[in-house]
Amino acid sequence: MGNDAGHAFVAGHYAARAQDYVSSTTHSTGADLDQIEALLREVGHGADVLDLGCGGGHVSFRAAPHVARVVACDLTPSMLDAVASEARTRGLDNIEVRQGAAERLPFADAAFDLVLSRFSAHHWLGFEAGLCEARRVLRPQGHAVFIDTISPASGLLDTTLQSIELLRDASHVRNHTLADWVAALARAGLPVESVTPRRLPLEFAAWIARTATEALRVQAIRSLQATAPAEVRDYFRFSEDGSFEIDTACFVCRAG
Amino acid sequence: MSDSTADTATPARPTPVDPRLLEILVCPVTKTELTYDRDAGELISRKAGLAYPIRDGIPIMLPDEARKLED
Repeated sequence: MGNDAGHAFVAGHYAARAQDYVSSTTHSTGADLDQIEALLREVGHGADVLDLGCGGGHVSFRAAPHVARVVACDLTPSMLDAVASEARTRGLDNIEVRQGAAERLPFADAAFDLVLSRFSAHHWLGFEAGLCEARRVLRPQGHAVFIDTISPASGLLDTTLQSIELLRDASHVRNHTLADWVAALARAGLPVESVTPRRLPLEFAAWIARTATEALRVQAIRSLQATAPAEVRDYFRFSEDGSFEIDTACFVCRAG
Repeated sequence: MSDSTADTATPARPTPVDPRLLEILVCPVTKTELTYDRDAGELISRKAGLAYPIRDGIPIMLPDEARKLED
């Protein structure tokens, strides 16, 4: 699938469920958002910020009170409509929305002091291209923060995670390992200053409802869970109702 | 794109875009400046020969959503 067709697929996939992402507590709360807010209290004053792959806009809503301007960028127009409307409701008038692709950002070089991206990169068709674009639009010494789900280094665990993710969400591309992230960020000119790993519990019913996963695929996920070897069950902590846990990481980088 | 086909009908009067909001925007293909065509509600990239639509005040900066310029 070519990049443009792929982008249309991802955007179409999320179009119908934008409001679910705005109201999702998995997305609207978390220590990772607190970490972003703490960084912004330190370096955000007067800053121009890009929320890259803004989804339901939770990073934008947290960032807006601390900075000069937030540009929320996503592939999915209905997500952007939902973000713009929620921003108005909250009286956050320094959030602007733009539809664009991570791999081909529509922003000038060095347009931002900070680039923030949360739970987006696993959807990008071009992981490295997206990171290079993030670096390009960042000013020298600017901060970039990437938060995403992390794939385990073990081949078996990695394959299980990618399988479950793809069954749940047809627009899933890839969860990267911690090592992949650090190396790719370095290659993109975004050396990592700190990594904060976090465990993310996923409540199964809400998790599949958010992507409107069809029954056959839900059944397949449950079947994978039921037949998984002990090593896999222990890592993901599959529970009776299908809920489980995954690893996430927050990378704070500084453009050279 | 599946969801945008439903709203291809542009509103009778294009939502005006604050010129200040355009200052950091460039063509995603050529990374060069854009000209705002207020009447058409489009952002023109002469270098790429593309006109990016603005729908409900949101610039749609995707090459496959852009209109190809005639000349």
